[in-house]
Amino acid sequence: MNAAPVKHHIIQGEYLVLDDENAVISTILGSCVSACMHDPGLGLGGMNHFLLPGEGGREGLQYGAYAMELLINGMLSRGARRDRLQAKLFGGGRLLRGLTDIGRKNGEFAERFLKDEGIPCLGSSLGGDHARRIIFSPASGRVRQQKLVDIDQNRVFESESKPKRPNVSSGDIELFGG
Amino acid sequence: MTTAASITTLVVDDQLTMRSLIRASLQQIGMTDVREAVDGEQGLRELAARPAHLVISDFNMPKLDGLGLLRAVRAFPPTKNTAFIMLTGRADLDLVARARQFGVNNYLVKPFTTQALKSKIEDVFGKLQ
Repeated sequence: MNAAPVKHHIIQGEYLVLDDENAVISTILGSCVSACMHDPGLGLGGMNHFLLPGEGGREGLQYGAYAMELLINGMLSRGARRDRLQAKLFGGGRLLRGLTDIGRKNGEFAERFLKDEGIPCLGSSLGGDHARRIIFSPASGRVRQQKLVDIDQNRVFESESKPKRPNVSSGDIELFGG
Repeated sequence: MTTAASITTLVVDDQLTMRSLIRASLQQIGMTDVREAVDGEQGLRELAARPAHLVISDFNMPKLDGLGLLRAVRAFPPTKNTAFIMLTGRADLDLVARARQFGVNNYLVKPFTTQALKSKIEDVFGKLQ
């Protein structure tokens, strides 16, 4: 019988790279985006969690590029090969109507980044009007997504403004296989 | 006073996204003669083929990193006086001291604004026109 997985939670602005088969990395996303990156040849994976500041102008884009660079460099420094990297993207929701759809800009940035950098995107769940919980198994590359439908979306929105761990309930589970 | 358009620049970074953003910032400053290289090795080949006034280089790169590129630039007589600005992450600040030992002119912590980039370039070349 396998031991319960060791859970690591990351918040906005953080990233984590692990190769522990018994570990998962989780995060809660509203309009933020997470890239789950995996090197299948090494059984190594990493996740980041970022939000482009401002209206997504050049300086905001540079912040996003830096968030992606930290994750990629974290993978490469642990022995990953750039030509083996695979990614999955999550988040970029629009939780509150009437505000600028920064979530869409976050998602579009992440998709464009992967395309420009030649990193295959094996799957994504971007956009929508709900928050998500993402649970990533870094060793296998498998991702579970829970749509968070029964929570106060304002709380996730506020948590992305002031990073902290929101207290949420969960909806259905969706699998993104490794 | 130096004219921005007269400064030839080589941007060295393994990420196309970051190179494009730096190029766009340089163009906004008025620096239009910009070449790119994807790592230190290609950067050295570019400089050997055609020297530049300024190198803006990432630190973390495959094959030859920013520190290796800086050392090679300083050791190669045709490029030894090339201005060199190193880009670094917040966690890499200890590298700045090593870069200074090898003659870096300035450094810039990512992510940065166009104004911050301009300020670092002006620290090296004087006020840009």
